[in-house]
This record gives sequence, C-alpha cells and structure tokens, in this order.
Amino acid sequence: MSSSHILKKDHLIPLLRKLGKAYRLVAPMQNRHGDTLFAEVASVETMALDLDHQPQESLKPFLFPQQEVIAAYEADQAGYALHPRYAAPPPTLYFGVRSCDLAAILYMDVIFSQRTREPHYLGRRHNTVLVGLNCNAPFPNCFCDATKNGPFSELGADLQLTDLGDRFLVTAGRAQGETIVSRWPQFFSAAEEAEIKKQYQLYLEARGGFQRQVHVDLAIRRLAEGMVDEAVWQQLSLRCQDCAGCAYVCPTCTCFTIVDQPRSATSGERLRCWDACTFAGFTRMAGGHNPVEPKKAAIKHRFLHKLKYDVEKHGRPSCVGCGRCLDICFGGTDIARFVELASEE
Amino acid sequence: MAGLATTFGSGAMTNSINEIEQAQVILAVGTNTTEAHPQVARRMLDAVDRGAKLIVIDPRRTRLAECATLHLAIRPGSDIALLNGMMRIILDENLHDDLFIEMRTENFLALRDMLYRVDLAEVEVETGVPRDRIASAARLYARAQKAVICYCLGITQHICGTDNVQSIANLAMLTGHVEKEWTGVDPLRGQNNVQGACDMGALPSVYPSYQPVADPTFRRKFEQAWGVTLPEQPGLTLLDMTHSGGQGAIRGMYIMGENPMLSDPDATKVEATLRGLDFLAVSDLFLTETAQLAHVVFPAASFAEKTGTVTNSERRVQLIRQVIPPLGETWPDSDTIMALAARLGYPMPYESQAEVMEEIALLTPIYSGIFHDRLETGWGLQWPCWGREHPGTPFLHKYYFTRGKGHFVPAQPIPASELPDDDFPLLLNTGRVYHQYHTGTMSRQCPTLTREADRALLQLNPADAKGLAIRQGEMVRLTSRRGSIELAASLTEEVTAGSVYTTFHFHEAPINRLTTAAADPKAKCPEYKICAVRVEKVSP
Repeated sequence: MSSSHILKKDHLIPLLRKLGKAYRLVAPMQNRHGDTLFAEVASVETMALDLDHQPQESLKPFLFPQQEVIAAYEADQAGYALHPRYAAPPPTLYFGVRSCDLAAILYMDVIFSQRTREPHYLGRRHNTVLVGLNCNAPFPNCFCDATKNGPFSELGADLQLTDLGDRFLVTAGRAQGETIVSRWPQFFSAAEEAEIKKQYQLYLEARGGFQRQVHVDLAIRRLAEGMVDEAVWQQLSLRCQDCAGCAYVCPTCTCFTIVDQPRSATSGERLRCWDACTFAGFTRMAGGHNPVEPKKAAIKHRFLHKLKYDVEKHGRPSCVGCGRCLDICFGGTDIARFVELASEE
Repeated sequence: MAGLATTFGSGAMTNSINEIEQAQVILAVGTNTTEAHPQVARRMLDAVDRGAKLIVIDPRRTRLAECATLHLAIRPGSDIALLNGMMRIILDENLHDDLFIEMRTENFLALRDMLYRVDLAEVEVETGVPRDRIASAARLYARAQKAVICYCLGITQHICGTDNVQSIANLAMLTGHVEKEWTGVDPLRGQNNVQGACDMGALPSVYPSYQPVADPTFRRKFEQAWGVTLPEQPGLTLLDMTHSGGQGAIRGMYIMGENPMLSDPDATKVEATLRGLDFLAVSDLFLTETAQLAHVVFPAASFAEKTGTVTNSERRVQLIRQVIPPLGETWPDSDTIMALAARLGYPMPYESQAEVMEEIALLTPIYSGIFHDRLETGWGLQWPCWGREHPGTPFLHKYYFTRGKGHFVPAQPIPASELPDDDFPLLLNTGRVYHQYHTGTMSRQCPTLTREADRALLQLNPADAKGLAIRQGEMVRLTSRRGSIELAASLTEEVTAGSVYTTFHFHEAPINRLTTAAADPKAKCPEYKICAVRVEKVSP
C-alpha cells in the first residue's frame, strides 16, 4: 500500500540537508557551463539543483560505470594471478529521477540478475534509495508515453514526487520511502483529497504535452510481423557514424567488454568498459570476417534488441523514450527516426 | 591557405559550420567528411534531410558519396579540369552572376578567355566523368541561391594544391556564391587548432595575423614588442627542414606534438635528417617514433591538464579549461617553453594564459577583441574580432572581399608529379579512418578504438586484385620508387580500378616511406594524394 504526503517546497532544501547526512546524495545540478547532469552533492548550501531540465545523462554511469576495475592481475613467467576487486558502495540517495530513468533501472535490475548475479551493479543497487520526480511538462525529444513508462511513474521509486506548484505530493512506494517519511516526519503532512485529484489532473495534462509523435507500438508490431524492409536498415546504417554515442547515453544499453590494462611489465588491471553493438569490433571475428556488414546493418541489432527481442523476452521494449539518442546522434539515425521509417506502410 | 588568400584575401572558412545546414546545394570536394569531420558531415546530412542537394567529387565511393545526390568519381588529380569544365558549362548556359562579377571581382576576362579554350570532350577524358554528369553538377550548383563548397586535403595535398583552391574560388565567384550567410567556400581544417597555429604565425613567412615577415613595418612592430632583432627573410618550410638530409644548415630541432617519422612524405629521408642532427628535442604525450630519436624528451601535458585556447575551422576561438592537474612529470607546453626561454637568456615571465592572450590581442589585429574573460561564457568568438565590443564575425567578406575585390586566377590542369608507368602501374592515395587519429600516438592507446581499426589495410579494387591473384585479407607488398611496406589487402569497390588507398596511422606499415615529397610550389604542401606504386603478393 502506498501512502501520500505533502512536502512544502520551502522545506525541500532542509529535507535534503537531513538526507545528506544519512546518504551520499546525488541530484540533477547545473554546472558552470549550463549543462544539467546528475552529480554528487558536495554541499546543500551551494548546490545548483536543477529540476527544470532533463539531465543529459541517466543514472547509468552511477550504477554501471563506463569503466570499472573488476580485478587486479600479476603475471610473470611462472603464471598469473587474478585478484578480484570489489568496493562496497556507500548508501546513496538519488533525487529527482525521471520516469524514463526509473524504468531503465528496473530493466537493468533484470539484466544484471539473470542467471549469474552480477555483484558490482547489484551491490550498488541494494544500497540505493530512489526519489522520483514526475514530468508535468515533457521535454522536446521525449516520447515515454509511446514506450508506456511515463510521463508519471508508479513503479520503481522509494518516494515519488509530483510538483503541485508550491508543494510536492510525495508518494511512498517502497519500504525505504516509508522509512524516510517516518524518520523525518516533521517535513511531511497528510495529503488531502483535492491534492491527490490535482495530481491526476496534471498527469492527464502532461500526457497531452508531448511534442513528438513516435509510434513505437506500430514499429514493434511491424518488426514482430517481419514487415520492416531491408532498405530501412541499409538507409540508416549507411549514415551511422559508428560513434556509439547512442549506446553510451542510452539508459538501457548494458553491453560491456572486458580489457586488461597493463600498469607495469608484470601487473595491471582488468577493466569492464561499456561496449556498443554498432561497433564493427563488436561482431568481427578473429579471422577478420564480420557477420554484420557495417554499411548495411550496423544499427540493425540495436533496434531489434530494443523493440523486438526484449519485447519477446520481457514483454515490453527496452527503449524508455528518454530521447537522449536524438540529441547525440551525428547521422540522424536515432530510434525515433527508425520508428518513423519502420512504421511506413 | 595561399590559394584563398590570393583570391579572397583570407585563408579560412568563409561561413560558420552551422550555416551548412541551411544550404540548398553542398558541393563537397576532396573531403571524406563523415570520417574526418563528423560534426560537419552531420550538418551536411541534416541539410540533405531538409531537401538540399549534395554533390560529392571524390575518386573514392565514400559514405558521403553514397548519401549524395550526385557523385562524380574523378580520376585522382583531375580537379582543375573538372572545375574548369563546370565553369565552361555555367558560362555557356549563362548561369554566371554578372552583377556579382562586375561589383565584387576583378580579372574576370582572363578567366573567361581561359574557359573559352576548355574543350569539354577533353575534360571528359581527363576526369573520367561523363559530360552530362558534369553538366548536372554545374547546373545544380550555379542555380542554387544558397550554395556552399566544402573542401579538404583531397584538394590541397597535390602538387597543384594552390591552383585547385583557386579554381574552387573561381567557381564560387563566377556564380556569386560568396559574401553571404549559408553561401561560401569552406576549407575544413584537419585538427582542432590548425587554424589557430596559422593565425599565430606558425608559418615561415608571416607573423601572427598573417602580417608578412618581409614587410619592415610589421617586423618593427614585433621587434619593439619582443625587444629583439628579427630576421628579414622568411624561415624554412616544413619539407625544407625535414628533408635536408641532416647535412644542412640546421643542426638542431625542437619538435612539439608532431610525429614527422610517420606523418611526413618520403619518410626515409626524414629519418636520415633527424639522425643527422647534432641535437633533437621532442615534446609529446607518448614516446613516438620521432621522440625515440631525440636526445631530450619533454613529457607534455594533454588538453585536460592545461588551460588555453584553440581556434577551429570556422575561425572560432574557444577556451579549454584545465580539469585535472598534469599527470606524472608532465608539464603544459607553455611551462616548457618558458623554462627553455629562461635558460636561453630570454625570460618570458607570463603569469597566466590570460596574459599571453592579452599580448595576442595587442599584436594580432584579427584577435584584437579576444580576451579570456570574454571566452568564459558561451561558445567563443569568431575572428575577425576588432575590439572588446565587437561580437565576432560568423561569415566573411560581407559587402567586400578582405583584399578589396575578389581576384580571379585562371588555372590550367597540372599533371601529378608522378604518374603510373609499367613498373609502378597503380595510383596510391592516402587518408584517414574514423577510429584513428593521425599517427595513432593518442588514439592507439584506447582499446575500443584499436579494436575497431588497429592495422593498415590496402584498399584494392577486386578487378586489380584478380589480375594479381590477391585474395581478401592477404598480406601484400606495396612498393614505390622510395620504399616498400607490407600490409593486408582489403578488396572493395570503394576504390576504382587502377587506384589503391591506405592510411598513415600505423607505424607497422609506414605509408609515408612511399609517398613523394614533391610539393605545391606556393603552399609547399606535399602531394600525399598521388604517387605511383605496384602491388605484389608476399611470397610464401
């Protein structure tokens, strides 16, 4: 059972100050170049909290870093020894997480606990508190309504916030959220019926606020029916610049590779690094043959994975409609473009 | 640089990169834009999405060529013939801009007389491009209201590089496609700060802001500012220095952030020169092939470890900020230079990079309004910027050309310095791949990039490969009059029969041991794009 409370905006910073004493605090902040990014809050006094713009990156780099040392190694003539590295992460509270990024975390939870449980991600995840923020006004590139995980979220967050103007409606969704409300009860008052109704009204209005029509369901159906023409893949793959920017900003792209980085003649570190299926090296074999011809199908696997394989496997696409790849793409081969082309009869 | 300076009065992009997006026609000549300038290619492709026509002139079928409305696959080195052919058609069909020519240019009659002697049948033979395709390109370009030409090293790295550039300028002036927003002539620079290095006078014949060394007025200005007597003669060009054979007047060199052992043509001579010096010092991030020959190596700090500015293709001066302290024993280049200067008896006690910028503003007219505090916010300033209140200049030559009137310089086709013959029957062209940068000093340290491309591939047309019984991926020996290397063959239709192509990133296959040091007589830019070679199977 979820419970609803009211937090006045005047008391947000004081609440964050208390939370900052109990957790490592991460929130969307504007840096001195005007970019909004999730970052660790060094000081609640001076933090430039920015809840008006979409953070340029999701929480992926925090829970699944771009580069991570997973072991140290020593090697000499006699052989080699591998010493796994694991640092227990501090309890962390992520504040102001949008519904797309929440959905992405739920997806990563599944990916990293299939068959073998992955200790690095799950270790961080278990020490995580998520405070979500519903989107009253979707951003220009967003289409989370089409991927059916936004603009409001009812899943995944420990506390879910809705901006009601001078106050937040706070819904405690999970145990950790209830803990926060009961540990600092002075900040919260009971929500009234009118306030809960206002939240639903905002939800309805937000759904009408999308500037892009991206018919994800149509593309999914046409992929399932095998109706997407080869020419679509070719047209987009030819223009793909192979920079992997889409996979790097994507909150649900979780492919990685493992490389050994020598630090001396006899020792080094084993790193886990983000990888991307658009790289030719992702599929090229030792003899040089590549079953995926880059110019014809570089991006095929990426979109099949998001909109076909994951639908078959998990019942929903693994695109969460955050729209970040639309901004980053050099060649105009982003997922919205694909959906548009794939949906053409 | 030299070509545009003569015709327009300024050797830089006339537009801003963003303007390319709004063009109706884009003529891309000798530029593999998607691989070498992805951020520019992005604008080109956006323009295509908005309905712009893209014309690509390139001997290879690059990705950009595949996205083009029209791809003219010319014979390497026949750019002037093609451009003259286009201009002849424009003239014949009365598509030139009379008013622009009258108001803004001079020496048109010389161009017209030369064009009237152009034989279009000969152009067809020389370029290998059918006449109707040349005519289509000419009409598309001339009829557009907003048309840009982008060119790169495929134009300049020829023995006729300056004439190539002047032909491009002729075409733009003939049709009035300069002096406006979204319309112009845009040389794409190869690195983030090549434009800045040229602007600062890292050229043998000019001081900062292209003020000639030979002119006593400018010389006195710099003598006064620096408190020294400066030489009256221009310095030596790069090739004069690196190809002197080590027996010349130059006995010592200090090389910063450059790896001529791999990047300069006819590299065997470069090695002899460097080994013949009495003293060689090198600054670089890593121990490059050049640094390995040095008596003293200065470990240099990377971009993230220092503060300063870079000036990009569109003349935009941007601040780069230090984010981490220099790693290990590395120093920022400015610290190394100041310490060296002090030891040599000429202290240069600048307190900060901002102070250096103040001196640049004082002595460099086109930078006179550019100060660090103005660069702190926004996206930098585009020169010319004439004072603190000046907002910078997004596009050049508004109302009049920098030199006054645009000057037509008619150019005749000039044969390459070395053409195929019986012993060396193939044409070698060199360039770059997307995932590696120059001699690989930095990019080959990154495992993701090396997984994408970590060895040299010789692109060879399947028809040529068949004649030589060479299979896909087989190691072959590539030989020119100057040297021989071994590398793997990659059979592809991207190159036409009779041509081969490879990159200069990899020290295992140092292609510049084969290239020729023959250079454009004006700009002294070597002919990296053409030399004669033969391909053989490596005997088992």
